[in-house]
Amino acid sequence: MMRFGFGSSLRHLRIQQVLAVAAVATAVALPVILVSVGGGVSAHELTSLENAGYQLVVSASGEHGITSAHNLSAQILGLGSVTAASPVLSVAVDSFLATGGPSPVLAEGVIPDQFTPTLGPAESGLFPNPLPLGDPTDLVHFANGTYAGRASNDVLVSSPLAQADGIATGASLWLGPTANRSQAVEYNVTGTFGVPLTALGPTGAFAIVLPLSNLQVMSGLAVGTNATAHDAADTIEISVTGTAASDPATLDRVRNEVQRLVPFYFVGSLDTEAQQLQSASGVLTGFYLALSSVALTVGLLFLALVLVRRVESDRRSIGIRRALGLPRRWIAREIVGDGLTLAVLGAVFGVGGGYAIVEVLAAWGSGDVRLAAQWAIFDPGTLLAIVVGIAALSLLASAVATRAALRVDITEALR
Amino acid sequence: MSTVRAPAIELRGVERTYRAGLPEAVPALRDIDWSIAPGEFVSVEGPSGCGKTTLLNLLGLLDAPTAGEVRWDGTPVGNRSDRERARLRLEGVGFIFQRFYLLPTLTALENVELPMRALRVPRAERTRRAGELLTEVGLHGKERAFPHQLSGGEEQRVAVARALANRPGLLLADEPTGELDSGNAGAILALLEKVRQDREATLVLVTHNPEVAGRARRHVTMRDGRIALDVRGA
Repeated sequence: MMRFGFGSSLRHLRIQQVLAVAAVATAVALPVILVSVGGGVSAHELTSLENAGYQLVVSASGEHGITSAHNLSAQILGLGSVTAASPVLSVAVDSFLATGGPSPVLAEGVIPDQFTPTLGPAESGLFPNPLPLGDPTDLVHFANGTYAGRASNDVLVSSPLAQADGIATGASLWLGPTANRSQAVEYNVTGTFGVPLTALGPTGAFAIVLPLSNLQVMSGLAVGTNATAHDAADTIEISVTGTAASDPATLDRVRNEVQRLVPFYFVGSLDTEAQQLQSASGVLTGFYLALSSVALTVGLLFLALVLVRRVESDRRSIGIRRALGLPRRWIAREIVGDGLTLAVLGAVFGVGGGYAIVEVLAAWGSGDVRLAAQWAIFDPGTLLAIVVGIAALSLLASAVATRAALRVDITEALR
Repeated sequence: MSTVRAPAIELRGVERTYRAGLPEAVPALRDIDWSIAPGEFVSVEGPSGCGKTTLLNLLGLLDAPTAGEVRWDGTPVGNRSDRERARLRLEGVGFIFQRFYLLPTLTALENVELPMRALRVPRAERTRRAGELLTEVGLHGKERAFPHQLSGGEEQRVAVARALANRPGLLLADEPTGELDSGNAGAILALLEKVRQDREATLVLVTHNPEVAGRARRHVTMRDGRIALDVRGA
């Protein structure tokens, strides 16, 4: 490539080439990163929704916003087609071994026999079944809001936590709301559960599961304390029968029934959420593409400028070729070839660079950025389409330069 | 590939006026009636700005006349489309310029091959032929050299070889020795005479230098865009 160059030094040519390739590469890397990460996150969320073992979810604004969680759960369970209603409370607590300082862990309070049916196919294999957390209904300790019954004080710990702290089944673990050991209560570790590899962030990995009532008491979210919320939960996850799950009309009917029970809470359907997510994902993809097209336009404008600049500096070379009788299409072909080469090189570097950036973020990024990068999806078809699209658009950039080249006056160029 | 037969060239009432960017039209050639027989060796002399290069450009179809006709073998060709004139140049005209005008990014061999590539001569054939031409102009062993690695005399030899690549019947040389020392100039002129004789081609040579012009068999002198003198002699 680049067989012109009569009027410009080789170094200038190389700098221009490198800049043009860099401009296109930058313009391509942006959509590669946005589309792959954005698409990956959406796909991951969709998969999570599709793999969930529940179909409806009750939620409230703010943390721990659902009150009377045990009673609500029982009422929802009484509706037709509902097979499980599992209130879930998530609170960060501190754990202590027999000796040593506190370790922060994410505690999930659940009603054991309601929690298990709401696990999706991917998660259910990670938990022992039934959950070895003492009273499966959590009603002995809860005792209709008095919390006067005997607490099981059983806890399940995640495998990563068990491995990190050397916790074995049968061991004791002290749990408390603060880092003060004196407030901690002794729990019996009755088993472990696995954590999906994709959720291996510190908060997801170091988790415990215990009876809902135990966690409510521990964190002050129980009746009889000074807390403003009572029998609190974050969500109630609801499973329905297989028939209801596969029939949108029945599912909608159940949702409405639940909504009547909890008029001040939001009752969402995972199907609806999935549709909303897909819709939002579509909007986001459109936004990404719009943003990308701005970057691509800038990149291609730069490419066009470089090519036109080249034609300007190579007027004599073009004049010589035309004087020798070389057809115009030869000159056009060379410019288009140069444009294509630069654009495809830029696109390839851009795709590779985008991929590398996402991989680096996935390996060394932090928090949500790292997680999102790990979920990124590189669709070969999309990447190929980007390269082909760039190649096609480079023809436009080349057309401007070609027009300028073909208008070079031979006699002037050779003067 | 055989040498293209040199055409009989006629200029009838040819004028060339330049306008672009100028307040008034500037006539470069005025009412030229002239002809060249196939195989002639013609020198064109005259002061700067008298129209020598314009005349050469019109003969070689690099430019089109503002008025009048350029004919090859009786056929009007001067006002044909750019594409047609390019094809005629490619097949029938060899140009040699004062400043050589080799493409700096191509080797000597590639420069000579270039016109043949445009005529779609097979690669092996054009490489062989370009090599022979470089040998003929005394540049055997310099095939892979780039123009900046050659002396001025060598560059002009490459330009001569390139001009001969498609075996044209018409060779047009614009001050071919203008940038060469006397030794190289003599060698280039001798080379041009030899290839003209060998190929029975027409050679039109524009020069300021009476000594160079003296090698031609026909001498044209231009003044103010007109042919002031046209002398045939030994």
